Amino acid sequence: MASYAKPLARQKHAEEHEEDPRQHLMHDPLPRGQMNAMVMESMRETGPIFWIITAVLAAFVVFALGYEWYVLIMQGQGVAGVTRPDYWGVFLVNTVFWIGISHAGTFISAILRVLKVESRRPFTRAAELMTTFGLVQAGLSIFMHLGRVWLTYWMFPIPNQRTIWPDFHSPLMWDLMAITTYLLCSTMYLFLPLIPDLAMARDRTQGGWLKVFYKTLALGFRGTEGEWKNLTTAMNIFAFAIIPVMFSVHTIVSWDFAMATRPGWNSTVFGPYFVIGALHSGMAAVAIVLFLLRSTMKHYKYFIRPEHFNTIGMLMLLVSMAWAYFYFNDYIVPWYGGDIWDKLFQEYAEEGPKWYLWYTMLICNIAVPWLILWNRKWRETPWLLALAGILINVGMYLERYIIIPVGVTINRMPFTWRQYEPRIEIPMTVGTFAFFLLLYMLASRLIPLIPVWEVQEGQEAHLIRKIGKAEISTLSEME
Amino acid sequence: MSEPITLLAMFEDIEPASEGVEKLQQMGVTDDDMNVISGIPVKNTILGRPAAITYVSRIGMFGAILGMFLGIFLIYGIPYLYPLLVGGQPIYPIPQGIIITFEMTMLGLMGFSFIGLFVDSGFPSYTPQKYTPEISDGKVALLFSCPVNEQEKFIDALKNAGAVTVAPVEARHL
Repeated sequence: MASYAKPLARQKHAEEHEEDPRQHLMHDPLPRGQMNAMVMESMRETGPIFWIITAVLAAFVVFALGYEWYVLIMQGQGVAGVTRPDYWGVFLVNTVFWIGISHAGTFISAILRVLKVESRRPFTRAAELMTTFGLVQAGLSIFMHLGRVWLTYWMFPIPNQRTIWPDFHSPLMWDLMAITTYLLCSTMYLFLPLIPDLAMARDRTQGGWLKVFYKTLALGFRGTEGEWKNLTTAMNIFAFAIIPVMFSVHTIVSWDFAMATRPGWNSTVFGPYFVIGALHSGMAAVAIVLFLLRSTMKHYKYFIRPEHFNTIGMLMLLVSMAWAYFYFNDYIVPWYGGDIWDKLFQEYAEEGPKWYLWYTMLICNIAVPWLILWNRKWRETPWLLALAGILINVGMYLERYIIIPVGVTINRMPFTWRQYEPRIEIPMTVGTFAFFLLLYMLASRLIPLIPVWEVQEGQEAHLIRKIGKAEISTLSEME
Repeated sequence: MSEPITLLAMFEDIEPASEGVEKLQQMGVTDDDMNVISGIPVKNTILGRPAAITYVSRIGMFGAILGMFLGIFLIYGIPYLYPLLVGGQPIYPIPQGIIITFEMTMLGLMGFSFIGLFVDSGFPSYTPQKYTPEISDGKVALLFSCPVNEQEKFIDALKNAGAVTVAPVEARHL
């Protein structure tokens, strides 16, 4: 009796999809000493273009965050575009945007560590740095918004000169507590896995201020059993504990708006919608940073490979879908509910003078990722993923702009409606981007951005095993 | 009985290092008298060593409790010192209490875990230590003590187990 088998795929097609596991970083190990040398070399070999860009950024930061802020303080918030009813302008947009960017570090590092996603290993630090530097920009932006920054201590839990204590009934105080907790904890979380790499840098640096720098920060780490046990225990605690803190931070940021009974803001879905939005912009920012690191840092093509862009791309697509789901939830309920003020807000966003922001937001946040990221080959193309990342961040920035200054324009007193136009906010906003880049560039010369010990640990744990006719990647539990 | 001497045996990999540990155990070196130093964390069972004890999680838990009480003080102690009625809400609200107490508990947990790492590992330590930079380049070191007059016996045994070098080591500045 003849057997009948339906062909599953054309031979050529099947060969095209056959993947050699050795092209993955975990199956392409180099001696640890060589990887150390590559990372150290990438930090030390700096051309003049790097320093020219650094100097230009530094000069702009001094202008935007020094001189312009001085003008803002001396002349008051009048030099900004804020006035009745738009007292919440671009400075708050920046705050929410940068906090969103900061979520990527924790998400990539903590959640992928908890879930034991192996492809996270080479880029966790690059993402963690974004958290710390993003929060610095968020902190600066909120101080710009405060105006009289020297009265910040009124929010500390001490009585001020008028014997008034801070009021913890207010969402703004919850925000202070949550962002402070997040900044402190994410900075500690950045430092913990850095200790062994600082010790490596200490061992490979001869004299000079850099030796003192590494020696001081490495804390005398040698790699004894007790030190590793303590370090991995602390890292595990942080990985699990920082996830709910991350969720709480952006939920509380959303409550700054949702607790007010304003049209467009008073939504029960705002918490998770903001968290997903933060992850959307944060993941996209990681794609941009990985592209820049791979393109500019020597030897990084060995560590950051198309497989890593694929991982990030899949996460971006998933998060984009989740964002679309939450946005639709947030949109349809007031649209269907028929409240006049909610309707007015939606009409103003879609058909008002800033209608193009609303459409650009939807295109960048939904159409762009869905059109680009479904294809693996495109996800593995670094420049394309970085381009998608830039467009998503444009979309997410516009989303915050629509929520905050466009949102406060439409209130229940139509005689106060006024179009908000940012003024001094524009150079200061560019200043925060320049400062973020500057900090990142300086950090790239001082600390190993690749966690070499984590890469080696992963490579030790991976093996290629032959099962039947195929070579399969296997993973052992090493710690 | 002769004076003890500290030797440092260097291995290329984890496998021979675990052989070395076994050899030392057979030769009567107690677990307290040896230490494995490596560039990556290695499970104690792979090395055939007892699990290292850590107090980091306990210190972290203590911090979490401390943080929780700080949070309770902030949300309920401050209105006691300066009562402020806001929007018809109670002076001692439970929902806001959950938020502030949660944040402070997590800050306490992570802050004290971080401090716990320092306390339990003796960080920072800038005094001279027995170490060689080859460890951070991927070699695995076995640091142990043995009587001076028996050191040749130990060196031979470890070389047979796969050690690249076995030599007396002195503390030096890192």
